[in-house]
Amino acid sequence: MALGTLEELKRAVIEYDAEGAASWARKAVEEKADPLKALDALTEAIRQVGDGFGRGELWLPDLVGAADAMQAAMPILEEELKRTGTKRETLGIVVAGTVFGDIHSIGKSMVCTLLTASGFEVHDLGVNIRSEEFLEAIEKYKANILAMSALLTMTAAEQRKVINALKEKGTRERVKVMVGGGAITADFAESIGADGYDPTAPGAVELARRLIGK
Amino acid sequence: MLRGFTRKFKPLEILTEAQVEEIHRATLDVLWQTGVTFHHEKALKLFKKNGCKVDYEEKRVHFPPGLVEECLSKAPSSFRFKARDPKNDLIYGGSTVYFMNMPGMQTVDLDTWEPRVPTRKENYDGVTVLDALDNCHFMDAYSPYFGFESVPEVMKIPESCAAKIRNSTKVQGTGYSMDCEIFCIQMSQAVGADLVGRCLAAPPLTYYGDSVEAAFRYIKAGFPIVLCAGGIMGATYPVTIAGTTVIGNAECIAGIVLTQLIKPGHGNTAGCFTLPQNMRTGAPAFGQIGISLLHLVFNQMWRRYGIPIYGLADTPSSSKAIDFQCGYERGISLAINALCGANSMLIFGGVHGELTHHPIQAILDDDIVGMVGRFLEGVTVSDETIALELIEQVGPIPGQYLNTAHTREWWKKEQFVPKAADLLTYPEWMQTGKKNCLDYAKERMEEILATHKVSMPLTPSQEEDIERILNEARKYYRDKGLISDEEWAVYMKSLESPNYPYG
Repeated sequence: MALGTLEELKRAVIEYDAEGAASWARKAVEEKADPLKALDALTEAIRQVGDGFGRGELWLPDLVGAADAMQAAMPILEEELKRTGTKRETLGIVVAGTVFGDIHSIGKSMVCTLLTASGFEVHDLGVNIRSEEFLEAIEKYKANILAMSALLTMTAAEQRKVINALKEKGTRERVKVMVGGGAITADFAESIGADGYDPTAPGAVELARRLIGK
Repeated sequence: MLRGFTRKFKPLEILTEAQVEEIHRATLDVLWQTGVTFHHEKALKLFKKNGCKVDYEEKRVHFPPGLVEECLSKAPSSFRFKARDPKNDLIYGGSTVYFMNMPGMQTVDLDTWEPRVPTRKENYDGVTVLDALDNCHFMDAYSPYFGFESVPEVMKIPESCAAKIRNSTKVQGTGYSMDCEIFCIQMSQAVGADLVGRCLAAPPLTYYGDSVEAAFRYIKAGFPIVLCAGGIMGATYPVTIAGTTVIGNAECIAGIVLTQLIKPGHGNTAGCFTLPQNMRTGAPAFGQIGISLLHLVFNQMWRRYGIPIYGLADTPSSSKAIDFQCGYERGISLAINALCGANSMLIFGGVHGELTHHPIQAILDDDIVGMVGRFLEGVTVSDETIALELIEQVGPIPGQYLNTAHTREWWKKEQFVPKAADLLTYPEWMQTGKKNCLDYAKERMEEILATHKVSMPLTPSQEEDIERILNEARKYYRDKGLISDEEWAVYMKSLESPNYPYG
């Protein structure tokens, strides 16, 4: 029963069960469930967790646990989208990561989770990401937002490097750049030529919407 | 030598002997079974040569318990930090307790409490205030600020080091990043002082190459090294205090093994800058009572290892302002960590976490430290303090003690008198403008900045050396492309100020 499977997929994410989420995603593919509906189930689950976080009923470990479960299921469903040639409607496509030299992931993961919950397609590259990796991912996923994080003052300068690399490649105008992290201020964001900055994860979602006019 | 304070009674302990051994055995297990990653080829070879199991592909080192115990026994329980002025040398270890400043990334506006980047002058003035405060015995790395206006990121630590050398004769610590320690070591050597070096793990259980390379450089220069358990409970460390202690111990001990293999008998201290996570924002949760419990356990473990304890996360507050929360969080945590046996603690000037610092706060902290330090010194019990003869002599009413030599001799030793607290009666307080501790601290800061002189100004040749080394650092980073054209132009212009280097 495809419907039961998607409910199970949703439950797995809400219960922070990464193995279960991957396994139910595989089952959905086997049962030839509509991959868009399967992705909706994931988004709905992460939205519920995000709302709980927003109401102060759930905490960061809950948010990260649900995000991990979603991430475990996501590639399986994306592969199926690709295989079946199905198009997905999203608010926008985001490439995100923590810059090179910086291995702090928590803030970046919070933003990615809340962006996903809000309906963005998010490609989280992880931490310690070089500028060329950001540029490749922007091309590959046809992203319209680049979201970069840096916690350390020493690594904040990497964000400027990535923006400069975009300019050199002539692709700066094709993507909106938002920056954040402990070391970043609004002044700094402006000085490096970013399109936006917000100090909080929920604020970053609003910023992303504003940047692409949604 | 700076005497600091002496804890004259047994430290507070919370663990039974069996629990101490249980945590130690678990630490040895982590070091052997899980191991620690070292991204440094030379270190991996050194570990291998000395009997560790090394997986070169994973860069993972597994430490045999025998080697761990041997290296712990080689690390000295006490050693000297040499200051520019010998009267400020520190003898670190035993029951001696020193206090240092808490650095901040930025300063804070005293009206709006918003953070902002300090000016060069504010940075130098901040050093002057810390130099003037008797209870501030040494200055930590990145202090008082992580950087100041117009200074590119890569020059922040060398500029900070130079500011402390110029405006203070106290011992200072330093960091490492992109080879900056090379220049900080040279500047310290030029004025004949030690630097407190650092070799920090990146939790969990990883040492990156820059940290390890810095350790080799500090050891070559003969400078003691601070190791540090610096994870976030629930994020990069287990959320439990016992689990956090085990992994923090393992990281520090891996650094001690490295140090002792490079140079047996070299000075090490173990620090704890571990904080819980704020499970709402993801930021470190400063000022929580759980930190004090962790320090209690961590310090007891490191007394067992006989290695001096460098307290780190003692007092940073979650408050953004110099207010009641800021006072109770730092006061309670400082008192507890002092009681449970740390050899040094961070406090002076930190306002919100590591994010803001202000010299006014440092002046207020001088009183907190004075109170805690007085407590540590305990009670003198002797014929003179029991004062039996005097009691007999004064007798009942109308006898009194105010006019006795004994009172004049002893009252300042027995009591601590804060310098910036409001101690007036209501009538006096109303007549003098209802001033509070912040007002008194501001007055004291003005007085310090107007009158304080560093005990040993740099000689012209030392000043020349400092500026030459800074210029070498500037060129080094510019040549490496780590200072952009825009940053370089702003930086160079700031150096043309008629008040350079002080403003």
